[in-house]
Parts: sequence; structure tokens; C-alpha cells
Amino acid sequence: MRRYPTWPIHLALLLTACVMLVPFYWVFKTSITGENIFSYPPSLLPVDPQPFFYVDAWYAIPFPRFFLNSVIVAVMVIVANLFINAAAGYALTKNFAGKRWIILLFLACMMIPFHATIIPAYLITAKLGLLNSYLGLGLPAFSHIICIFIFKASFDAIPPSLIQAAKIDGVPERDIMLKIMLPLAKPAVATTIILSFIWSWNDFLWPLIIVRDVEMQTLPLGLSTFLAYFEDTTGALYAFCTMVLAPGLLVFLLAQKEFIQGLTSGARKG
Amino acid sequence: MATASTSSHQSRIGGGRTVAPSARRGLFARKRHRELALIWVLLIPALAIFLLYRVIPLLWNVVLSFQFWSPTKPSEWAGLYHYEEMWVYDDVFWEALTNTFKYMLTAPIAIILAIGLALMVNSRIRGRTVYRTIIFMSYPLMVVAVGIIWRWLYDENVGLINYLLRSLGIIDRPIAFLETFATALPSVIAAAIWQIIGFFMIILLTGLQNIPPNLYEAASIDGASRWSQFWRITLPLLRPSIFLCFIIGIIASFTSFDLIYVMTGGGPGHATELLITYIYKAAFTLTQFDYAGALTVVMFVLFVGLALIANALAGGEAGKVDIAD
Repeated sequence: MRRYPTWPIHLALLLTACVMLVPFYWVFKTSITGENIFSYPPSLLPVDPQPFFYVDAWYAIPFPRFFLNSVIVAVMVIVANLFINAAAGYALTKNFAGKRWIILLFLACMMIPFHATIIPAYLITAKLGLLNSYLGLGLPAFSHIICIFIFKASFDAIPPSLIQAAKIDGVPERDIMLKIMLPLAKPAVATTIILSFIWSWNDFLWPLIIVRDVEMQTLPLGLSTFLAYFEDTTGALYAFCTMVLAPGLLVFLLAQKEFIQGLTSGARKG
Repeated sequence: MATASTSSHQSRIGGGRTVAPSARRGLFARKRHRELALIWVLLIPALAIFLLYRVIPLLWNVVLSFQFWSPTKPSEWAGLYHYEEMWVYDDVFWEALTNTFKYMLTAPIAIILAIGLALMVNSRIRGRTVYRTIIFMSYPLMVVAVGIIWRWLYDENVGLINYLLRSLGIIDRPIAFLETFATALPSVIAAAIWQIIGFFMIILLTGLQNIPPNLYEAASIDGASRWSQFWRITLPLLRPSIFLCFIIGIIASFTSFDLIYVMTGGGPGHATELLITYIYKAAFTLTQFDYAGALTVVMFVLFVGLALIANALAGGEAGKVDIAD
């Protein structure tokens, strides 16, 4: 087959890469600019770089507190998702009366976007007395249906003979699950961790609805509140924005293979 | 139905339990009971969450939409009052509905671009994994931060986009992209495309890599050009992936709250109002929970309808979850 020159492809991809990267650069540049960020024309390179905006942001907002809140909620959601979804996925590998109905119920629930439930979800959370609390922030995300099916699929792939052998050896059901099946379902565990992390870390609408106090705000909520107070008038906004993006980017770059794989298998989320 | 199929499956999964000798039936029945109890104990946490945060809210929404409801007063039956108000009197509802449909344009545009990108990063060129990473990178990031980035790029005075357009002589006076009625929604859509395109690229890339290479070999032996190979082999076989992207795009048009909230807040006027941002405002700014409930019911019915249509068009393949047991 005739070989085509590759330079047009490189050119097109380089251009795309620029379009994808320049927005990040532009915000980072603004966050370290030393001169007035509103002087025209804007310089393409940071003029007189300095960290003042970061210092401003650090003193204007309780960044460590926001970060901690985000981490606490994310960890809660991840742990809950691992246990609840692995348990449900394991139960669905068994046969029992009503199994089809349960599966249908799960599939139907997948068709309900969380966004279509916010009003009663808010009222329910208020009734439970969980407004403005970590548990309230995490609870609706404690189980993602897609992860149940991912766990079920990976448990189904474990050869039944292995389980049978363990049963014959008298291994109790609990140990079969924790010591044999869970380690064999590592990809499902990784996917669940990644999906529940991203969805919890980036979640904005739910915290916006149920958080009242500044001390309970998570990072996205803190960022949007900052925007609401200061508009675009200060470079500290872009310093804050960079501080918020940096950990997410770092986590992504460290585990990008798992991220890409996890998000692709989570694509069917409703 | 489930009980009837139990025995045949048990022989596969549960091993010897099905052919219990009658003498030991009591023991096995007890074991079976314990196993059943365990199954339900394992299912209950997940079921509780979905009941509490999916099923009950959905039904409650429907109930709310037929009531006059406020946190302080006892509720009253309202019949179709809210729906009538929405349908007949509420211009903002219609604007939000139209905008939600317009926002769906994100999907086809992003899909066409992403097909091109997927083909390119699938070719044997150096650095393709680096390109993939860079193009995908924007997808998992926090939408609130992405919205702030794009606000700044669109800034009227010192935004990069205005600066570039002015330097290139395309426009001679700066455009306030996000404050102008005509440009606000397209500008937000552009930002949405920027964020989702890498995800679509990866989905389509997976689709491309699942196409058996011998199809192309056979086609080129038969003298098919690259162009006709693309139209006759690549595109038809990519159909499930394309529809998956399409459904994700439809979902996004119903759930893109964060981006709109941060970039425009629904403005100017209601030029970028989507159903979801309007629901939020009706419920949590104006505290009209009953009316917002009616809006939510309309949004949900629309969402399910579109998802079913898209699924039917895809031949029932997109979003399929394996329930065969």
C-alpha cells in the first residue's frame, strides 16, 4: 500500500494539542503575571512573574479546609462504593427469586439522572437532618449502578470451579468473597475507585444545594463562591483555579491508563 | 420465572446442591435459606440508596408537580395548574427547552471532530500516545474550573480569543462573547465541545481498534480506495461507538449545569438557560419547589424519550448492559 506522508497528520494533531493546552497555559500565565492583568494587549509570556496572587488566594480563602472537605467526601464515597457495589455485584452472580426484577430495577434507576432528582433529594436529605454535613454530601453517591454491573461482570468471569474448590475445602462464604473473589476483581476495583473519585471530586450541583457554611464547602463550591464574590477582577481567581486543577491533573497523569479505561467503561452512566 | 430457572442454573454455579438426597434435604434447605438471607443482606445497601435517591425522588417529583407546595404550608392539590402555567404562560420554559435542544448540537459537532482525531491518533505515527493524553486530559477535570478558564479566554478586553481575532484582523472591535445574546450559547457550546472531545475520541478509538484489520486488507486487494474504505467499512462498524457518544451528548445537554452556572449563569437574559439551570433557579432561588417539580417531570420524560429513540436508532446496541443470565 502506498505510504502517505505523515506531516499533515502531525500538523493537525499539533494544532489540536495547542487548542487543548493553551487554555491551561493562559490561566496559569495570568495567575503568575506581575503586571495588571487587564492591560491591553495581553502579553503572551508572563510579565515579571511573581507568586502574589497565590498568597492572596491562600489568605482570602480557607483552601486547606476546602481541600480537606473534598478529600473526606471523596474517600467516604470511594469506600462506600467499593463495599456496596462489590456486595451487590456479588449477590447478582447468585440465583434467587426476584433477581430479574432487581436487575430491571437497577437498569431503570440508571435511566434516572441525578439531576432529575435534586428537589426531592434535597427534601429527603433535609428530613434526615443531613444538610450541611459530610454524610449528606456523600450519601447520594454511595453507590453507582454502573459499578455494580462492572463488579458483577468481573465476578462472573471468575471460573466457578475455583469457588467450588474453595467451598469443598470449607471456606466460609465471607472469606470466599473477601479473599478469593475481590482480589481477582482488581480491574473492577480500580474502575470503581476512579469513577467514584472523579464524580465526587468534581461534583458541584449537590454541594451547591445542601452546603450552607463556608467551612463545609468543597473545592468546586469554594471556587464558584470565590467567583461570585470577586467576579473576574483579581488574578487570585486564576491562582485559586490553578490550585484546584493541579491535584486533579496530577492524579490523572499518574494513573492515566486506569482513568481512560475506567471512564470508558463508565460511559454508560445514566 | 426466576424460581423456574433456578434449578437449571444451580447445576452450573452452585454445584452439587441441586441433587440433594432426600435424607439431607433439611440441611440443604437451611443452607439455602442462609444463602438467600446473605444475598438480600448484600443487596440491601445498594437498594436503599437507589430507593432513597432515585426511586422515591422520581415519584415525589411527580406528586409535587400536581400540588401547591411550600415548606411552611400544608400542601394542596393543584391538578395540572403548574403544567398549564409552564405550557401556556412561561416563556422562559420554552426558551430553556429550545436551548437544551440547541445544546445537543454539541454531540454531532464533537463526534465529527472526534472521528477525525481518532483516525489520526490511530495511525502509526510517532508520539500518538502523547497526543491521546493531551487531547483527553481536559475531560476528567473539574467543570467549574474549566468554566472559569473559558470565561477568561472569552473576556471582552484581555481574553485570548478576542486578542487573537483582533490581531488577525478578523474583527475590529472586541466581542463580549458571553454577554451578547447571539454569541453566548455558541460560546458555551464551544467550551463544552473542548471538554468532551477527548472522551469521544477515546470511545471512537476503541471502536476503531475493534474493527478486524483483515476487512481493510480484503478491501484494498479488491481495489477499494481509502475513501470508500472509510465510508463502507469504518463508519458502519463504528456505528455503536458513535451512538454511544451521541447518547452521552444527549445526557450532557440535560446535565450541563456546572458549565452554564459558572460561565453565564443562564444569561444574558435567558439566552443560555437550559432546563436544568432553570429547574435549579425555580427550586433554590425562587423556592417554587412544586413548579420546579413539574419542570423536572417534563425534563425527565423528554430525556427518557430521547434516550429510547437514540437507542432504537442504534439498533438497541448502545448503552447495552449484559443481563443475559
